[in-house]
Amino acid sequence: MTAFARSVPRIAADLAVVLALLGWAWMARGLPDFVLPGPMAVGERLVAMFVSPAFLSHTFASVWRVLLSVVLALALGGGLALLNRAVPALDWTIRGMTLPFLNSFPSIGWAILAAIWFQPGDFPVVFVQVAILTPFALINIAEGLRQIDAETMEMARSFTRSRRRAIAMVAAPLLLPYILGAMRIAYGIAWKIALVSELLGGTTGLGYLMLQAQGSADMATVIAACFAIVLLFVTGEKLVLDPIARRYAPKR
Amino acid sequence: MFRGDSTALKAAVAAAFLALVLAGWYAAAARLPPYMMPPPEAVLRAAGRFFTAAREIGHLKATLFNVGVSIGLAFSLGGALALTAHYARAAAPAIHGRLSPFMNAFPGIGWTLLAAIWFGVSTTSVVFAITVVLLPFALVNLREGLEALDGEVDEMARSFGRAGARRFLYVTGPALIPFAIATLRIMFGVAWKVALTAELFGGGEGLGYLVNLARQEYDTEIIFAVVLTIVVSVYLADRFLFAPLEFATSRHFGRTGGRR
Repeated sequence: MTAFARSVPRIAADLAVVLALLGWAWMARGLPDFVLPGPMAVGERLVAMFVSPAFLSHTFASVWRVLLSVVLALALGGGLALLNRAVPALDWTIRGMTLPFLNSFPSIGWAILAAIWFQPGDFPVVFVQVAILTPFALINIAEGLRQIDAETMEMARSFTRSRRRAIAMVAAPLLLPYILGAMRIAYGIAWKIALVSELLGGTTGLGYLMLQAQGSADMATVIAACFAIVLLFVTGEKLVLDPIARRYAPKR
Repeated sequence: MFRGDSTALKAAVAAAFLALVLAGWYAAAARLPPYMMPPPEAVLRAAGRFFTAAREIGHLKATLFNVGVSIGLAFSLGGALALTAHYARAAAPAIHGRLSPFMNAFPGIGWTLLAAIWFGVSTTSVVFAITVVLLPFALVNLREGLEALDGEVDEMARSFGRAGARRFLYVTGPALIPFAIATLRIMFGVAWKVALTAELFGGGEGLGYLVNLARQEYDTEIIFAVVLTIVVSVYLADRFLFAPLEFATSRHFGRTGGRR
């Protein structure tokens, strides 16, 4: 296959994106801005979200809350997974009850309850995100802990009497890919639910900005906020998570 | 005495935990106003109305309709896109490299607000929002299924007949069934959660609409009851319908002879 033939699908994919943008611009021409603003108007607002101080503060608020929530959810989910492993009697309580409960709890339910229970601000937003992300961290880290079976640890102990060394040299490297997997999943979902969590309990952030914009029929800001989320998610994944995953992912 | 991992001990600890949660709930309800923490019996009464009172049953039916139609649409559309990418390789980067990541990263609430503007407060808005949120789940899962197809089995099928439709019907289709069931299982869990958000912002009926009314009137027991109904329904359907179905189809049609 020639180099040109190999690059045809990629060119077709880029062409499809250009066509989609042209189609959007064509459709937007005949519609008022509050129904469908054109790609240029949305693009300008999108740039403003990363440049203009008024918008940048909202973008920054969303970013730091997402990062904090991912860390907290990993700590909480990891803690529950470790507790489940250390105390087998808690298996039904943690994996049988708490996990399915948290897993099927609707995100908007948490958002509404947090808005009722807490004063608007950072806390309700982070609370909602952590509540939603924790089951995903718990599932992945518990799966990782299952991979560390008794025989592997016995082998480690036969090489060293130091428990800390056995954990650092054997258990931790086995668990690492699962922690990274949990981080990837939690990061992806955190961005998806960031807007919902900020809609009702936040006073800053892209979700808050989006709700304000929707109230004033500013559709360019609504769509730009969604694109900002897509951009932030993809940037974090490509620049941070993908390289880490490539380095530590298990070889298949 | 109990052993550390005995079933009886696990059940006893789980029952004690549940009793503790209920006691904590009662204690909180006694100290806080009902709009912040309604008592458990009020929530149970409200949840019971979803299966007895005509008005509530109507909303539950509307949500079931929205969830069912959206799953059907997203599955068909996702399946069509995954098949297009599989059989027309030139389209694969556009579908899996551009469309799928975009749909996957675009926030569901964004679709909901856009749908409410484009289609008004209606069933169309709700179905549209749920469908576009579910679409990447169908696309990604069915792609996994198509990529996991055994090339040798396909080659064997080719040696038996040249008709592509027959080959799909008797070889590719059945091999995809475990992935289709797994996809439906994931979609069912997600659809309920998305339906609530979509109906809250863009629906004129359904459980989400009911939650929106309850939120404005600080009728928190309805919010608790809706969440409880969803949590229990999703759990029961997953445990007693989708999990056995996935296991059975995976054993019958899958390559690994069990759950993947």
